[in-house]
Amino acid sequence: MNATGIKFGLGLYTALFIVFLYGPLAVLAILSFQTGPEGGPQFPIIEWSTYWYKHLFGLTPPSRIAPLPIEQALVRSLTLAVMTMIVSTVLGVTAAQAFRKKFRGSGVVFYLIVLGMMVPGVLVGLGMALVANTLGIDRHWWGTAFVLHVVYTFPFAFLVMLAIFNRFDPSVEEAAWSLGVTPGRTFRKITFPLIFPGVLSAMLFAFTLSYDEFSRTLFASGRDLTLPLAIYGTFSVEVHPNVFAFGVLTTLFSFALLGTYAVLMGLSVRRAKRFAIQEEA
Amino acid sequence: MTMAATSHDTAAETAETSTRKQPDRTFWLLAPGVIWMLLFLVAPILMMVYVSFWTQTTFKIEPTLTLKSWVTFFSSDTYLGALWTTIRIWLVVLASTLLVGYPAALFVGLFVRNKTLSTVLLVLCVIPFWTSFLIRVLAWRPMLGKEGAINMILMSLGVIDQPIEVLLFSELSVIIGMTQIYCVFMVGPIAFMLGRIDPAVIEAAQDLGAGFWRILRTIILPLSMPGVVVGAIFVSVMVLGEFATSAALSGRKVNLLGNIIVTQVGSLKWAFAAVAGVVLTILMGAVVAALLRVVDLRKEL
Repeated sequence: MNATGIKFGLGLYTALFIVFLYGPLAVLAILSFQTGPEGGPQFPIIEWSTYWYKHLFGLTPPSRIAPLPIEQALVRSLTLAVMTMIVSTVLGVTAAQAFRKKFRGSGVVFYLIVLGMMVPGVLVGLGMALVANTLGIDRHWWGTAFVLHVVYTFPFAFLVMLAIFNRFDPSVEEAAWSLGVTPGRTFRKITFPLIFPGVLSAMLFAFTLSYDEFSRTLFASGRDLTLPLAIYGTFSVEVHPNVFAFGVLTTLFSFALLGTYAVLMGLSVRRAKRFAIQEEA
Repeated sequence: MTMAATSHDTAAETAETSTRKQPDRTFWLLAPGVIWMLLFLVAPILMMVYVSFWTQTTFKIEPTLTLKSWVTFFSSDTYLGALWTTIRIWLVVLASTLLVGYPAALFVGLFVRNKTLSTVLLVLCVIPFWTSFLIRVLAWRPMLGKEGAINMILMSLGVIDQPIEVLLFSELSVIIGMTQIYCVFMVGPIAFMLGRIDPAVIEAAQDLGAGFWRILRTIILPLSMPGVVVGAIFVSVMVLGEFATSAALSGRKVNLLGNIIVTQVGSLKWAFAAVAGVVLTILMGAVVAALLRVVDLRKEL
């Protein structure tokens, strides 16, 4: 479209839109460098300091502001995220594998799986807590909360793998078998490299979603807090810049994950290209 | 591994045995996922419906069926107020995400012809989704507060003399926060649909003398409708199930159905929480069903 004025206006709007998306996080990052312990969570910055980062790691002298209970919570959240990642990726790959063949009732199964990502956490969380209470099961982050995390992330893994298998040419596998390559070697050399980008994406989705998940965890995890629950706990009290410092660190962690993903993805794409060139030659 | 092995077998064997083995293989591949969903998704939801008819005593619930919790819910101003607040906030946020998101989607999906630039812009929109949801909610506090960034900027620009206090701990702050958090889910699907519009269609309209607004109304808007509906479903489901944004930004002034569930569970009123949960489920189902009626997604996508 060549309406220059409109294009310029919309471009300007989109720039403002991105400021709207990132503005609050930027303000939060700036305020995390407020001086402490007397500096509050607002402007102006009295003095730039890394006090609240030290406060987070317990490196400051005790003050009236209690440290965030993150040490244990971090270990729990990371363990939970890894558990969720493994189980939901395995379930996602197997379920998507089944969908490569047409079968009766596939529509129902598809919607059943996708329902897991649509139903709000507060509802499944409540339901799970009720089931656990009735059966007399103790609620734990590694039990009742974990199975709900998988309910939430498995559909993402499933959809990603479904998209991968849709573009997957089965004749490549068949060619390998007909040439007498063992099934194990075929999987290692042919199938796995082809579905690897999908598996990687599914793992990234599952890990990140589980690491941030809290509405399901809130009802289903019992006494021990995960990281998001520790943050949620600060909502009802006065907020200090230590939460902001934590926000900056956890955002950097998410970016590091995304970066690792991008590098691994780049490597896999380059490898695929090298194979394509070999084939042509 | 199993996949490779069984496919190898079916390739080698006769058609008759393969049709016998095929459903078998599909069954075993699907069983773990389906059982997981039945046990940990369907059963909890059914349990919630069941418990909403249980008898609530002060500290516990007993499996004696009664309609009492339902009667309490629909005769209480607090609960009905929460239902109404949920619907109102949902409608406002749906409209605001659409209004705020559509122009950005229009630019990214239709006006940016450079593939790299449009990908970069979309990735920029999606990146916040990867950071902690709670931190993004909390980030609005230093923005909107009485001594917050927005008030500070407006005061130094001389637009206002007194800080605007209604910005934080009000319904407005909840709406602003939710709009920012959820508008990405509106932009994505709309930009995707707009990107699929054939430029020749728009050029033809221009050659025939149609102005921008006419093209927008008669071509772009109708063709982007499936994207709007998908975005609206995402936003609706997430906003209706919300409680954290209102907990963080409204200072307990805005109580959504989600907040009611959280407080009821906190005071061990499981049956009331279950009633609120069932009401929320019905509301959500009705909204999604209504949105799906607007556009036949299977046909359009």
